[in-house]
Amino acid sequence: MAKQMLLDAYRGKRTQKPPWVPYAGVHCAFLINEPADKMLKDPELLAKGVVNAAQRYKADGIPLVFDLSVEANAVGCDLKWWADNVPSVTNHPCSDKTPAEAGLQLPTQDSGRWPVLFQAAKIAKPQLEELDCALMGLFCGPLTLASHLAGVRIFTDVYKHPDFAAEVCKFAGEIGATSAEFYAEMGCDIIANVDPVASQIRPETFKEYVTPNCQAATKVIHDAGITSSFFICGDATKVMEEVCQVGTHGFAVDEQMNMNFIRDLARKYGVGFGGNLKLTLALSLGLLSSREDAIVSLAAGGQHGYTFAPG
Amino acid sequence: MADKITIDVVTLDSVQCAACGYMMESIAALPDDVQEMIEYTEWSIKNKDGIGKFMELGVQVLPSICIERDIVFPSIIPQYEELIDEMAKRAPSEAMKDRIESLRDVGFQFDKIQENLAKAGAGLATRTDSKVKK
Repeated sequence: MAKQMLLDAYRGKRTQKPPWVPYAGVHCAFLINEPADKMLKDPELLAKGVVNAAQRYKADGIPLVFDLSVEANAVGCDLKWWADNVPSVTNHPCSDKTPAEAGLQLPTQDSGRWPVLFQAAKIAKPQLEELDCALMGLFCGPLTLASHLAGVRIFTDVYKHPDFAAEVCKFAGEIGATSAEFYAEMGCDIIANVDPVASQIRPETFKEYVTPNCQAATKVIHDAGITSSFFICGDATKVMEEVCQVGTHGFAVDEQMNMNFIRDLARKYGVGFGGNLKLTLALSLGLLSSREDAIVSLAAGGQHGYTFAPG
Repeated sequence: MADKITIDVVTLDSVQCAACGYMMESIAALPDDVQEMIEYTEWSIKNKDGIGKFMELGVQVLPSICIERDIVFPSIIPQYEELIDEMAKRAPSEAMKDRIESLRDVGFQFDKIQENLAKAGAGLATRTDSKVKK
């Protein structure tokens, strides 16, 4: 396990070998024979699950949680819990009003599930340090959080009601900056802005609504001397130039992206990149050989700014 | 001739994947009058039924919305009006086409999303041995 090697790769530097991050998420619960909902509500179980997964997979870094409902829940969205999945957001307080009209306030360390995360990080961090494994803090990016707040209408509003969309996305970006502060205080070594729905929009929409609303959080992370990243899911091909220029030290993509394309783009912009083991087709369903898939990823990624990880 | 428009949303998993979730919500948040004219299902490729549908429809990227078997929104979460227009184009009768087009200015409706998602089986077939209920 090699935390420094991971930090170097995330910052686009050369490494002796590609570091490795299992974005284990609720799989951590499966590994300790606990339901996902129970683990996510219990700081001791969460810490146990994360440390266990880090040990089992000999990880160079591991997220505390991979759960994009934390921010929404901390400002008042309700959740539906699942025994084998992350919680889902069930209501949208800004579906017919702005965040200010809905009376939404920036979260504090006591809001929603943040106390559980602070406590879990306190337990897990020293154990991960001993393992030389980075603790990663992942927060919900501006467009995904805007979707949680306003619902699917946000994708229509960016064209039909741009002032409304801008207000919701701006508030989402401020919440992201608050999360980044919290993760910095927990001692996270890497903090990532995770905005999966940002792959489902046009590049000009990304530039207008995502890029500006990532800046406050990135500044918090960089001012604290911490390594930053931007995670995106799905077929993000059309917005990858924007992702490379969002201002973080690097980015991570999922299994739908072509790794040679991603590598060349990351090198062009001098940023780190990670992914994109075929989580579904190989690791989950076994339709492809996970060994061959890993070799393809490793060959494409190389030892220059690349982190070996599921997509 | 079918009396409803068939919509297939092919996803990774609408609970785990936010993009998939909001693709599903774009259909589940259509107003009541539109809901009466459509039949939709989530096909997660975490199970064999979903993989079968992925192959059958020729889907290239996830998530994708297919209307009447046409891949209409691949990796693009649609605007309300875009959805209405694409459904109207594929309506099985002129009467239904006119009725859908008359709802172009209504907009999304958020009070029955959970109920509608449950009807579509959203999030309920995400294990490798899950069966998609039609």
